[in-house]
Amino acid sequence: MTRRRWLIHLVLRALGHRKGRTILLLAVLAMASSLATALGIVSSSMERRVAEEVRKYGANLIVIPETARLEIGSGGLDFGVVSEPTYLQQSLVEGALARSGIKAERSFHLRGALHWKDSDLMVEGVDFADIRRLFPWWQLKGTWPTAGEIVVGNDLAASMKLKPGDMMECGGKGQTVKLRVSGIVTSGGEEDGLLFVALPELQKALELEGQITLVRLMVTAGGDSLKKSAVSLQQLMPGAKVSEVRQTARTSEGLLAKVKLLMLMVTAVVLVSAGSSVAGTMSTTVLERGKEIGLMKAMGGTRVEVMLIFCGEAAMLGVLGGIAGYLCGTIIAQFITRTVFSASADIIPWIACVSLGVSLFLALLGSFGPMISVFKLDPVRSLRGE
Amino acid sequence: MAASIIETTGLTRSYGDICALKPLDLLVPEGEWLSVMGHSGSGKSTFMNLVGGLDRPTSGSLQVGGENLLALSEDGLARFRREFVGIIFQQHHLVPYLTAVENVMMAQYFHSVPDEAEARFALERVGLGHRLKNRPGELSGGEQQRVCIARAIINSPKLLLGDEPTGNLDHKSTIMVMELLKELRAEENFTVIMVTHNQEVAAWGDRTIYLDDGILVREERLVKTDEG
Repeated sequence: MTRRRWLIHLVLRALGHRKGRTILLLAVLAMASSLATALGIVSSSMERRVAEEVRKYGANLIVIPETARLEIGSGGLDFGVVSEPTYLQQSLVEGALARSGIKAERSFHLRGALHWKDSDLMVEGVDFADIRRLFPWWQLKGTWPTAGEIVVGNDLAASMKLKPGDMMECGGKGQTVKLRVSGIVTSGGEEDGLLFVALPELQKALELEGQITLVRLMVTAGGDSLKKSAVSLQQLMPGAKVSEVRQTARTSEGLLAKVKLLMLMVTAVVLVSAGSSVAGTMSTTVLERGKEIGLMKAMGGTRVEVMLIFCGEAAMLGVLGGIAGYLCGTIIAQFITRTVFSASADIIPWIACVSLGVSLFLALLGSFGPMISVFKLDPVRSLRGE
Repeated sequence: MAASIIETTGLTRSYGDICALKPLDLLVPEGEWLSVMGHSGSGKSTFMNLVGGLDRPTSGSLQVGGENLLALSEDGLARFRREFVGIIFQQHHLVPYLTAVENVMMAQYFHSVPDEAEARFALERVGLGHRLKNRPGELSGGEQQRVCIARAIINSPKLLLGDEPTGNLDHKSTIMVMELLKELRAEENFTVIMVTHNQEVAAWGDRTIYLDDGILVREERLVKTDEG
């Protein structure tokens, strides 16, 4: 039998001999590592789930043209800022997005004015498919438009007495367009005062083919900070200004960070408790096995060799506790995510390494003090039972 | 006369103010069976621990098998113990969760490599071929002591130390163990240092020294008759 096989055999025999204590230590280590596993999986699933939830609140980044700004003021008086409309080239934005590698839902917008019945109406050109995907909370009376149709914001419809089915003949820059109202939309925001037209139709009417005034992006919130995405995108579009829509993005990221911190703190408390428990149990074991340690040293075992046997026991417990912890933690995580998020948890293989690492670390750290005792133990005194 | 395996000069061991062993000059020839007698606290176990490399002297010189034990490090003493010494304890000190053969293999592990066949043979030599897979709790006191002897001789030590090896045994088992040790010594020719209270056990040796309050007070060389 090789020395290594004998060592493993010896360790298993020693652990098997003290079943109660071994089970207790395994339970403590498994509990701690299962908690780390469960929190890791829940945290990851929660990040994904929150990102999905955040999508419901729409875009979290916007891209607008860098406006030519001119400050008006004289003699200490500030009359504000005037700017003239500027546009972004749609193809350039698409190219920059592709190069950035950022995964994001997008919608292109062109805002302008159409003349109707002696007044200029604020109108926005959009892709209605994008709108339905990015703004799922918009409520529509009527139907989504097809070619030659528009939807009208609720406030505008009320003031202009428009309803689905009405025909509008609007004047653009170079031509007049006939549009049919297919629906009235309520967003709860400024959009309620706008008229929505298919983007190509508006670009044509305003003679602004390929031009846009705004891009709304919904970047998947996750490990990559939204701010980083904004910065990298900004570098690729020098003529544009990329900004975060703070109220949704920051709130979701901030909330997620706080929940993660809470989880980490709970995990830390449990790990410290588990480590103390392991240390206490291992100390008792070493005290009880003083004669055995003395005997090993009397037979010629060096301090390191004897310590290695006890380290082997701790490591074996750590490995077994880590495996049990990963399995239990995965089940717990499934239960939590199903109960709280109504979704199944991700299976994350690398979390197994974390679970194993946590359990091993606790087992060895908890055994550190007792190992020092093993190292120092005097064979004569310990054989006498002192 | 055989060369000395143990040489002590002015060997002392103190624990604080208490002097457990006062300057001791002693020579033990190779192959001798030396019995050490004395009352409790006379210093006989202290002497055995020093000779076995389990403890360090306070002063004096101690040569065992040519090794100056005072010069050895902790690991050096451990190496000395596993290569040179076999110890039989009064309390047996067998590992409770290992079988008889595994207890013997434990000594092999610290010496070199565990070899089950050799360990079995050692147990067969001490008459425990039928108890190989029994744990200490399933063995009588005499049987446990024989496992202890098998464990002590498995690495072919030059020096066998017995710390009251028959102290917990009845008369019949005592005789059996002593007969066994005598046979093994005849085969292996190791030196024996046997600490005992028992005059009858001491009489199995070639020479007996008497310690009292840490001082060697008397020495007897036993003359063997044909009957032993």
